[in-house]
Amino acid sequence: MKKKIVAVAAGAVVLALGLAACSGTSSTGSGGKVDLTVWTGFTGGDRPGYAEIVKDFNASHKNIHVTMTVEPWDTIGQKLPSAWLTGQGPDIAAPSPDPNAIAQYVKTNSVLPLTLTGDGDGKINVDKLAPGTVKEFTYNGKLYAIPANFASLSLYYNKKMFAAAGITNPPTTVAEFADDAKKFTIDGGTTQSGLVLADNQTIQMWPVLQWLEGGDIVDSKNCSAVQTDASQKGLKIWGDLVAKDGISPVGLTGAQADSLFSAGKAAMEINGPWAASGYKSAGIDLGIAPVPAGVDGPVTLGAIAPLAISAKTKHPQEAQEFLAYWTSKSVQKTFSLTTGFPPLRTDLAADPELKANAIVSVFAAQVPDARLYLPKVPNATQVDSDAYTTMIGQITRGTDVATATATAQTAINKLTGCTSK
Amino acid sequence: MSTSTISGARVTSVTRAPGSPARRRRKRWSPGLLFLAPSLLILGVFVLWPIAQSFYYSLFDWTVGADSQTWLGFGNYVALTQDPHFWNALGVTLIYSVVTVVLLVVLGLLVALALQGEGIITRIVRSALFFPTIVSLVSIGLVWKFLLDPQIGLVGGLFDLVGAKPIPFLTTPSLALPSLIFVGVWKSVGFAMIIFVGGLKAVPPERYEAARLDGTSRVQTVWYITLPSIRPTLLFATLILTIQSLQLFDLVYVMTGGGPLFATDSLVNLLYRSGFVNYKTGYAAAISWVLFVIVMIISAIQLRVFRYDDVD
Amino acid sequence: MSTDRLAPAVLRRLPHPDGLLINRILVRVFIGVGVVLALVPFVWMVSGSFRSEADLFGNPSSLFPGSITLHGYESVWLQLPFLRLLLNSFVFAGVTTLLTLLFDSLSAYALARLRFRGRTLCFILVLVTLMVPFQVTLIPVFIELFHLGWLNTYQGLIVPRATSAFGIFLLRQSFISIPAELDEAARIDGASHLRIYWSVILPLAKPALATVAVLNFMNLWNDLLWPLVVTSDPNMLTLPAGLTLFGGAHVTDHAVLLAGAVISLLPIAVAFFLAQKYFVAGVSTSGLK
Repeated sequence: MKKKIVAVAAGAVVLALGLAACSGTSSTGSGGKVDLTVWTGFTGGDRPGYAEIVKDFNASHKNIHVTMTVEPWDTIGQKLPSAWLTGQGPDIAAPSPDPNAIAQYVKTNSVLPLTLTGDGDGKINVDKLAPGTVKEFTYNGKLYAIPANFASLSLYYNKKMFAAAGITNPPTTVAEFADDAKKFTIDGGTTQSGLVLADNQTIQMWPVLQWLEGGDIVDSKNCSAVQTDASQKGLKIWGDLVAKDGISPVGLTGAQADSLFSAGKAAMEINGPWAASGYKSAGIDLGIAPVPAGVDGPVTLGAIAPLAISAKTKHPQEAQEFLAYWTSKSVQKTFSLTTGFPPLRTDLAADPELKANAIVSVFAAQVPDARLYLPKVPNATQVDSDAYTTMIGQITRGTDVATATATAQTAINKLTGCTSK
Repeated sequence: MSTSTISGARVTSVTRAPGSPARRRRKRWSPGLLFLAPSLLILGVFVLWPIAQSFYYSLFDWTVGADSQTWLGFGNYVALTQDPHFWNALGVTLIYSVVTVVLLVVLGLLVALALQGEGIITRIVRSALFFPTIVSLVSIGLVWKFLLDPQIGLVGGLFDLVGAKPIPFLTTPSLALPSLIFVGVWKSVGFAMIIFVGGLKAVPPERYEAARLDGTSRVQTVWYITLPSIRPTLLFATLILTIQSLQLFDLVYVMTGGGPLFATDSLVNLLYRSGFVNYKTGYAAAISWVLFVIVMIISAIQLRVFRYDDVD
Repeated sequence: MSTDRLAPAVLRRLPHPDGLLINRILVRVFIGVGVVLALVPFVWMVSGSFRSEADLFGNPSSLFPGSITLHGYESVWLQLPFLRLLLNSFVFAGVTTLLTLLFDSLSAYALARLRFRGRTLCFILVLVTLMVPFQVTLIPVFIELFHLGWLNTYQGLIVPRATSAFGIFLLRQSFISIPAELDEAARIDGASHLRIYWSVILPLAKPALATVAVLNFMNLWNDLLWPLVVTSDPNMLTLPAGLTLFGGAHVTDHAVLLAGAVISLLPIAVAFFLAQKYFVAGVSTSGLK
């Protein structure tokens, strides 16, 4: 009996060592081919779009082979700094869905400044990319990343519910928006929610509601703006709608909000293009409209994820070629059509095929009015998790706006190092 | 030949059988260390040394990848004492641990007492109760998150059945931590039970005989005979469960993300957020060392309370 | 003495050792509730993996699917190199568990049976390694593996986990409870420590060894973070680690997530059923002489 155990153990160890010998031999490529590795965390509905970019690049660039590995975002966040430090990391990576994460890597000189810029194919056409996105990734005058994608948020609505209530058009003003949200809330939110809102683990939706009233989270000096009259007004209107009228359950994550809309238990949701295909396959009679215009005109939130090159990459030239390809006109057009995301490039704004696509056209039309959330704000990630989400969580649970915004103001200013207040 | 059971410390024997060379009796390396060598080597290289390194990180504003690190001395630790999130996390962790461990020990013991037999039903019941232990925290956290969801969960559904409005357990600040405690206890009760069943089996039946002849009641028997007899088992269970509970992370990460409003933000969750989301590796290391010291202190107290020394 | 051996007629006349009837009924009800509570989430998990989103939202109080859909399992099968991941999981968890059984039991023997200078220190060091969560040592370990050249290799996955403090602790407690007289007898017959360990102690500690084997296998199988840290090659991931790809901030497919959970659970559930008779009898940790 014991001999058998020993034999099995020995066999297993041999098997393991044998597999070890076969694995882990990195593909060094054959005959002068350059191998590039890319890490991203795009696991959602847009995943095929990125796979397509890689495939097409490999097909059209015979001397370069790109392999994209998709891992959960938090795994990338845990491994990437060490991986890049030890030179073990990928040549190219999207470090986080949060654009402000790139600041950290710039600080530690882990990412390569992009120099292959300019006009023409084979170069990153910086002038043609949506302006806010380039600024977001420029530090000390140097560009360190390209946007892997650029999403604006639109208003998804359930056409069937609207039709049943006799409303043909989605809301276009804030007043209509609030009214519709109340109208479509049934049973105080238990049976149906008017406008389902997520406040954590999500691309933020609440900033849009604030911007509609002219409020904001921080001003241009990175000082807190949540206590201004406009901010408090916006927060009060929508906070009361949630806390008192129950237009949305409280404390939802992005995934939970999406689930509710998908299941036909919510009439409206502010969301990005990644959700459209999921909703359609769930059988929702889907309508997508621009977010209702606010006091300052149309406004919505824009979300971008950075794609950067490791400072220690052995192939900086080829890596930049890949980024140039990613942002090139034909690739962006295909990407938009596949995923519904608006194209990164301004010179595709008038493209007829994109305009004809029901999803892309709505999202692309809002790109000029899309604002970034906490752009280039110091410690933005902590501002979001510690101050902003907490403030929204309190207001939606009934805390009065004045108190909640006062606490948030102090916290935000401390985190951003605001000195002028 | 004789072995030296008298001089316990050294293996060298006092008398030698005729003919056996002196060399063979005096070992150069104590066999104890040889037996321990593989484990100590692995643990030393891959756990103890990294723990020491993380202490080193905690003395700096350590940023992975930076060209030079800023020396802070104990600056991180001082900052911790002034950080309300730290104190909140400490409170959450301690409350979770105390309540969970007490519940686990009490419930585990009660169930073990009831299921001591070897009948087939008893064994099946024990297996059923132990089953939750084997599933991963991440999977089961996900399942319970869905179960407690007011919209799709079975718990919510049961509320519907009786006509009540489903309670959103995980998004209500006052109910989130109790919900996590419930799941934590649910998962480990079977584990505690198995430990206690083993301990109960080793109690010499003569003690119970004596008690029965004296006519002591069930409760008295348990209190005066059973508990003292299983003291080492109680220690082992309490120690292991406490150490695990103080490191609460997976359930928080999967079920609540530390919310709502930081009601379930445990120390390891805070550590994770500081280190891997906010990239403050030095600060995270400081939190981990504070946690480490807390765990050591509590473990030492438990060892003392259970009078570990005279059992070994 | 067990009352089981007394004649039934005698038993009926004795006062029931467990006390009043009402107490016994209450205990059984309590245990029954416990069993239901322990198993219902698993039933829900399996049934949920076959349910559509509409079914879940529409009938939350129902435990069973209204209609069966396989798309959860299909998604998992189609999007992952499933068999490869399964093999990796088995190799990683299996080989490492065998190694832990060996190293842990050797260490436990030393701590339980051998007296030497520094024994208490060693015991404390082992205990200390239990007290630190993995997030703390992640970065230094990653850098160590890099320096050893063990990233993306099987030895990098296996060796750092080839011993477990929990296993050492449990086995030590178990070995202590084995009477020392048996050691003595063997030693008088000329057995070395290794021989005593192999022929005397190990056979007597089967329940403890089985428990450590199952619990370690389970922990290694379920460990998501470790494979993700050591390897970036998706073909080297273990199954649970690979399944994390289905999560995400805006991913809402419950059936897929539950299917992943069920698939991750199946192999260890099987291992559990095969090995349960060894340890559900209870693991001796009493350490009484």
